[in-house]
Amino acid sequence: MTRAAAGVPRCAPRGKRGAVATSGFAYHRPTTLREAWRLLAEHPGAALLAGGTDLLVRIRARELQPSAVVSLRSIPELAGAAAERGGGLRLGAATPVADLLRRATVVRRYPLLAQALRVMASPQIRNVATLGGNLCNASPCADTAPPLLAYEARVELRSARGRRELPLEEFFRGPGTTARRASEILTAVRLPAPPPGARVLFHKQRRVHLDLALASVAVLLRLQGTTCRRARLAAGSVGPTPLRLRAVERFLEGRILTEEVAVEAGRLAATAVSPITDLRSTADWRRRIVEVRVRRALVELAGLERAGGAP
Amino acid sequence: MTARRHIGKATPRPDGPDKAAGRALYIHDLARPGMLYGKVKFSEHAHARIRSIDTAAAERVRGVRAVLTARNTPELRFGFLRDNLVLKRDKVRQFRDEVAAVAAVDPEAAAEAVDRIRVEYEPLAGVFTPEEALRDGAPLVHEADPQGRPRRDNRVPLRFHHESGDLAAAERASRHVVEGTFSTPRIQQGCMGTAGCIAEFDRRGHLTIWAKTQIPFLAQRDFTRFLADLGLGERDVRVIVPTLGGAFGSGLDTHAYEYLAILLAWKAGRAVKIVYTREEEFACLSPRQCTVTRIAQGCDAEGRLTFRRVDVLQDNGAYTSWGATYPSVMMVPVTSLYRVPAVHFDAQIVYTNNTYCQAMRGYGNPEVNWAIESNLDDLAHAAGIDPLEVRLRNCNEPGEVTPMGLKVGTCGLRECLERTAARLDWPARRAGPSKPVAGVGTGKRRGLGLASLCHVGGSGRIYRSDASGVVLRLDDFGFVHAHYGGVEMGQGLHSVLTLAVAEALGVRPEKVIVGPTDTAHCPWDVGTHASRGAFMACTAVLRAADELRRRIFELARAAYPAEAEAALARHRRRDPEYRPPDFDVAEAARSGTFELQDGFLFLREAPPEPWLRVELARFLRAVHFREGGEMLSAESFVDPPTQLPDFERGFGNLSAAYAYGTQGAEVEVDEETGEVRVLRLVAVHDVGAVLNPQTLAGQMYGALAQGLGYALYEEVLSERGRILNPDFRDYKLPTAHELGMPIELEFVEPDEPAGPFGAKGVGESGLVPTAPAIANAIHDAVGVRLYDLPLRPERVLEALRKRRV
Ligand SMILES: Cc1cc2nc3c(=O)[nH]c(=O)nc-3n(C[C@H](O)[C@H](O)[C@H](O)COP(=O)(O)OP(=O)(O)OC[C@H]3O[C@@H](n4cnc5c(N)ncnc54)[C@H](O)[C@@H]3O)c2cc1C
Repeated sequence: MTRAAAGVPRCAPRGKRGAVATSGFAYHRPTTLREAWRLLAEHPGAALLAGGTDLLVRIRARELQPSAVVSLRSIPELAGAAAERGGGLRLGAATPVADLLRRATVVRRYPLLAQALRVMASPQIRNVATLGGNLCNASPCADTAPPLLAYEARVELRSARGRRELPLEEFFRGPGTTARRASEILTAVRLPAPPPGARVLFHKQRRVHLDLALASVAVLLRLQGTTCRRARLAAGSVGPTPLRLRAVERFLEGRILTEEVAVEAGRLAATAVSPITDLRSTADWRRRIVEVRVRRALVELAGLERAGGAP
Repeated sequence: MTARRHIGKATPRPDGPDKAAGRALYIHDLARPGMLYGKVKFSEHAHARIRSIDTAAAERVRGVRAVLTARNTPELRFGFLRDNLVLKRDKVRQFRDEVAAVAAVDPEAAAEAVDRIRVEYEPLAGVFTPEEALRDGAPLVHEADPQGRPRRDNRVPLRFHHESGDLAAAERASRHVVEGTFSTPRIQQGCMGTAGCIAEFDRRGHLTIWAKTQIPFLAQRDFTRFLADLGLGERDVRVIVPTLGGAFGSGLDTHAYEYLAILLAWKAGRAVKIVYTREEEFACLSPRQCTVTRIAQGCDAEGRLTFRRVDVLQDNGAYTSWGATYPSVMMVPVTSLYRVPAVHFDAQIVYTNNTYCQAMRGYGNPEVNWAIESNLDDLAHAAGIDPLEVRLRNCNEPGEVTPMGLKVGTCGLRECLERTAARLDWPARRAGPSKPVAGVGTGKRRGLGLASLCHVGGSGRIYRSDASGVVLRLDDFGFVHAHYGGVEMGQGLHSVLTLAVAEALGVRPEKVIVGPTDTAHCPWDVGTHASRGAFMACTAVLRAADELRRRIFELARAAYPAEAEAALARHRRRDPEYRPPDFDVAEAARSGTFELQDGFLFLREAPPEPWLRVELARFLRAVHFREGGEMLSAESFVDPPTQLPDFERGFGNLSAAYAYGTQGAEVEVDEETGEVRVLRLVAVHDVGAVLNPQTLAGQMYGALAQGLGYALYEEVLSERGRILNPDFRDYKLPTAHELGMPIELEFVEPDEPAGPFGAKGVGESGLVPTAPAIANAIHDAVGVRLYDLPLRPERVLEALRKRRV
């Protein structure tokens, strides 16, 4: 199922002798993983394409000039969501975001992820952008990453030689880099059963509605009365990779959630992140956002603002 | 005057259906047989000497038909001061400088070829702020002027100055004086349709160019001169304007890419199309001017203004566009917004190695309005008087002559202020300290602010001619074809043109067809700028329609009776019982008064019999298809009673009418993050009279949206001349979501005698005071004054931090 180039078409084979043709790429659309692995082996400079919403932008900007593009869009194993033994959920890496949002299992059982998916990009982009693409692109601002970190998701990588699984936290290595080897395809994201009765909140700090996160925080809390039994926090766009805020989790677990605790948790979160100043915002302000948004999320999730004046 | 039948009624725009259905043809949709695609090679330095350009590899790319550099092209100048070269020869002065251009059979080959052009540069030290550029010994952006005379500094040789009243005495006598320095960023016009053109020569060497322009006739003049410079004298240039996806000032100049398309088309002997990508539009088209304004205003104990001192520093970038003349419009609000007895205004325009800037909606007015209206609030606070009250005490009045010599006709400013305040519930809400908002997200406070504007509303003479004209041609079917030289760029010009023709001539709007803007068919027009489109189009239509009516009624004296008799005969065939009233048609036609209404010709004195109402189409055929037949058309050409001011003295009645307005905002400021949410916008504008409420609202909403973007989000970021955010990923326009707040519009209609149907031009008004209204509301909420746009949360937070210490 190999077709001639799409994207940047080759120009008509005509012209002066010795003329050079416009650079383009071969486009392949395998229907099995095996075929995809073979193509990857045959074309060392190949790029994988899922929704293409990151890849094509980079090709068009000439940041990337792959010799071949291998599409993952027609491989059935990579699409869809399936319940797993033990109450978990397995999400195919090439499932579009909009598709995930139409699934009751995702929306009801993993509301923190759903909150993030809903504020990701625009409806048009959500129709094609995939979960796997968001993670493999490994931008610190990837919206799906903080909630998946809070759910302690694992990623499944497969190559012709075998299969391995990693906690998502270990998958991210730096801006744009992951633990994925060139021969591997990210096949699925595996979510353990969600903690029962968890309260969740995802906040994405944006300049305008359609935007990449300037900073984001994902908070998952399980309370027993006013005591925090479990806390999972993660933040985006405030470090070289999406960050799990373990220090804050440790601080919160076992504590009675009060205003003071929420304030302190915000402060801790602010020291746990390492934002930079770039054209989107400043390091200072991003740190402040993490502090304020973590605190406010805790206040809201613990219902503290109803009890009395909020901090 | 009889009641209006069309003007003032909400009417859908004629260009709506095709645009909504995706059928309107933009430059992007157009193609010519055998057309080539052009692409420009831009500089990779802000300031550098060009050592060599190697195009050999580019020429070898399959499909390439022409490659141009300064080495194989004569030196060709263009631009407002002719300080720009179509292809750069010795050095580049900005990142986007054109060093080469390619035409190829498809866009990919052109892009590939451009990539393969190798340019060797010797980087030079650059200047990136006006302050830097004005320093002694600063590197010169231009070593010589266009005539080759050496230049000593980076000042752009354009003077704008105004002094009135005894400033020193007024300053001394002031009870309160407040100063401030306010800045505005470069912003992008953000047109949905990017820039582009197609140039094509016929075999006789005449040029047709489909251009995205607001100035078809000044462009025609520029291109004609360019051809002459090329050695192609006596060639006709025809400019055709396709459907435009927005312009907002970006079409007020001719651009290098247009000249390059012409050169490539000439060289290749084929039509050549150049259309910018979005990234090129951001990085290689000129944004809005970037300014720093120093202001001081004073008042007496009662809050009456004593003086206003305004000094503007404008970062021109590397070359000079029409937009450099922003100060010509800045003078309007500086001298004439509120009554000020003593005014100083000076503008310094400075070359830098930044991207050169051009015009955008408001043309200098928003820049100084930002300073005047922010600073005026501070002055009110210093005087301990409510900001609304200060504005009312200094309010402009109808009929006044301002220090610049503007002859204010109607002026609804007082009403605009009062109605805005009433809508905001100002007196009640402003009493007492600012109001914290309870609930989650504490540290949020709300506040109210307002700001007014005054702008040209009756065209504006910034060129030797300020004219427009229209041709109205009647066909055999009762359609009126209108050819107007101004440009519909999305603002609704064709809508008001249609209504004006229908109203003034007496036909139904469906029978009015507005033709495309084409220099071959339309009367000369200076351009669609200065909010003048509707004002001038309607003025021109009134004149031409008057002439047509006169001629129709003249012909009717002889031709009408036969048509009425024929109609009576038809009527009788349908209704044999019918007995016509006793009415001598021939006699009445000789002496009576004719009327044309909704496409029917009749005598005012006649009884209301249907057959006495003759269809215009039948009448037109009757006078056409006979011996000595005649077809009717009329052309008008109107140069309005405006003056080209003496800008070095800052004096002259720039416009035939002046638009006023007040806008209010309610905001919520998050004191912990600096985020500003606009909860509500109110806009009350003196528009003279409403022409089409639908398109007027569209203009206002659009301008307010741009104003909101200017206030809170938009900025072309650059670092040593390189643009860092040439895309919508990092150049943020407000989205529908940011415009979710209630926007309340109201119009004050004083019926301007200078205006057609009493209307003033208001295409720019809504943008002008939006930012200061919001900033004043922020001040009301949290007590900090902000000086730099956009009001990004980082900046607001920074100001809040300073307030605390
Ligand atoms: C207008 C616009 C708005 C956007 N807004 C947001 C936003 O708000 N939040 C956000 O997080 N992102 C946003 N993005 C970025 C992008 O849409 C997301 O990152 C998206 O999830 C990428 O998925 P994709 O399927 O399109 O990836 P692709 O572009 O197809 O791929 C991205 C990268 O991952 C690799 N890859 C993809 N799938 C696999 C796989 N299964 N195994 C191995 N490698 C793989 C590709 O080779 C490529 O390097 C936006 C993009 C655009 C164009």
